[in-house]
Amino acid sequence: MINQYSGIAPKGDLMLIQHLCKKLQGKSFLHVNSTKEGGGVAEILNRMIPLLIDLGIDARWEVIEGDADFFDFTKKTHNALQGNKEKFTRKMWEHYYEVNKRNKKNINLDADAVLIHDPQPAPLIDFRTKRSKKDNSIWMWRCHIDVSNPMASVWTNLKKYVVQYDTAIFSVPKFAKSLPIDEFIVTPSIDPLSDKNIELTENEINDVSERFNVPRDKPILLQVSRFDKFKDPIGVINAYKIVKKYNDCRLVLVGSSATDDPEGEIILNEVKEYAGNDPDIIILLLPPDNHKEINALQRMSDVILQKSIKEGFGLTVSEAMWKEKPVIGGAVGGIPWQIVHGVTGFLVHSPEGAAFRIRQYINNPEMAKRMGQQGKEFVRNNFLLTRQIRDYLSLWYCSMHKGKNIIEL
Amino acid sequence: MGKRIEAFEFKQCVSILKSTGKHAKNLRELRTIISKIGSESIFHHVYQYFLKGHMLEHTNDFAEWAGESLEERALAERLSMIDPYTFKSVDGVRNELLRKIDSFLSSSPRPHEVLSGDEFYFNQTISIVFPVGVKTKNLAEFLVAIEHMDAGSIYYHFYDSRFRLGEGVADDFSRWIEHTLGKKKLADKIRDIDPFMHSIESIREHIRGILEEHVRADMGGIIV
Repeated sequence: MINQYSGIAPKGDLMLIQHLCKKLQGKSFLHVNSTKEGGGVAEILNRMIPLLIDLGIDARWEVIEGDADFFDFTKKTHNALQGNKEKFTRKMWEHYYEVNKRNKKNINLDADAVLIHDPQPAPLIDFRTKRSKKDNSIWMWRCHIDVSNPMASVWTNLKKYVVQYDTAIFSVPKFAKSLPIDEFIVTPSIDPLSDKNIELTENEINDVSERFNVPRDKPILLQVSRFDKFKDPIGVINAYKIVKKYNDCRLVLVGSSATDDPEGEIILNEVKEYAGNDPDIIILLLPPDNHKEINALQRMSDVILQKSIKEGFGLTVSEAMWKEKPVIGGAVGGIPWQIVHGVTGFLVHSPEGAAFRIRQYINNPEMAKRMGQQGKEFVRNNFLLTRQIRDYLSLWYCSMHKGKNIIEL
Repeated sequence: MGKRIEAFEFKQCVSILKSTGKHAKNLRELRTIISKIGSESIFHHVYQYFLKGHMLEHTNDFAEWAGESLEERALAERLSMIDPYTFKSVDGVRNELLRKIDSFLSSSPRPHEVLSGDEFYFNQTISIVFPVGVKTKNLAEFLVAIEHMDAGSIYYHFYDSRFRLGEGVADDFSRWIEHTLGKKKLADKIRDIDPFMHSIESIREHIRGILEEHVRADMGGIIV
């Protein structure tokens, strides 16, 4: 299975994965999260688990179950950890613990390495079983969200569980906290073989262009993101309006049609109203599983934006870069990790800045092409799924050789 | 029987990033942490800068932060001129960083704070070194290998070696070419490549160009 990535992922990453799997042959690696499908974590585990099994690791993936109250609570904690103010009661925290305790009965937590994803299953650490006095099992807590500025009381409650782990893993250094345990940084990744990123034929791209009525007769500017004020769709329209005075172009804003987000609908209506009846602004709402369609829209675009004013990691940037597209991103969250300003894209701080960079790209196709190519190589070396698998295995192996800064295989 | 040639074994270094949990929001905080932090962190922010793979304005993370986040261009320029390979230890580099910062602070006593999110985060790495399964016995094989190695391998043999092998030894490539193949002039040409003025890809191109020219000359111009 790993061979599917030959010629796509860096050779060194594939080789290190194989080296480490040989060292870890037959050992068990348990992943626990809270959803079987939907979201980046499930997407990665779906690919990673079979691949690890194929390489001789006894990998398992368990999903915790909870009731509506549990998931309401964990959604609230998710928001609060990202800085929103939410209300919590002691009862809610007790229920959170109780649900994890119930799950413990159905999940075999006995493994050489245990990777617990996000806050939902974090209390499982309380049920860690020592198999023997010489037990060397490693428990890692993987935080996929931005906890750099959390609601203090929520972090304090969660931290009680986090500090019991051997290791915590964050997506970028600024999300890391001051903790008494080892803290590693593992950036998220995209899967180059998924529908969202796989190569498409010109016919497939044209088909999407026709189905969604997005003509390819002038430069296409694209932003793919939820209709959320932090993604700054109004700022993107402002940038487009500035560019339009100088260069003819078309703006496509693509978001998910999820209706369970009342704020999303409000923002969408604002955006529609702000766009007015400009025929060159196309707003598309696609079902969340329309990955190939998003892929095609990215591939037919000339400039791709992620002009966020607040962002987690913003993997849509890597998705665009993987397709060799010139990108423009807000200098927030994980975006500066992906965009090396002036090398793999441009970082901007305002609609005016975005407009200027769009004009630069449109008027310098050679430069746009060069930066697109550099972007793809940067993603190849840093943001592919294989690198993330490599990092998890490396972390596990490093934890078995604690205290060493250089490990020779 | 000819003399047995010791093959050049290509290795690669993969670095796993570890957070120290410490960060600085102004120059005084940066100075305090630099003076106390483990040498692994200084090593990462100075020596491993080139692992990022892009040629930017600066030559280490401290200089980049001073220039881009703190917007103290003069300090950034001074920190960028620190050549870590001229120091015998990481502590030597640490002292030089402190000396440059102190000198700057004495003339600019009111350093400001960066915006939230732009703080300097002190990290370190754990490096895993592994063979990539390629051994070369002559220049032609070596040239092909250089073209196809991952950037992490070029980094390990061209940059990491300077610290690993100690003062006076530049890189693994030139050492092998001189001591095993006995081609000192060729080795000198590779040693002359300025490690600070190129990205890893550009280093690869330079080495490839130098080797190709030599191999072509050796074969009497047969290779086009």
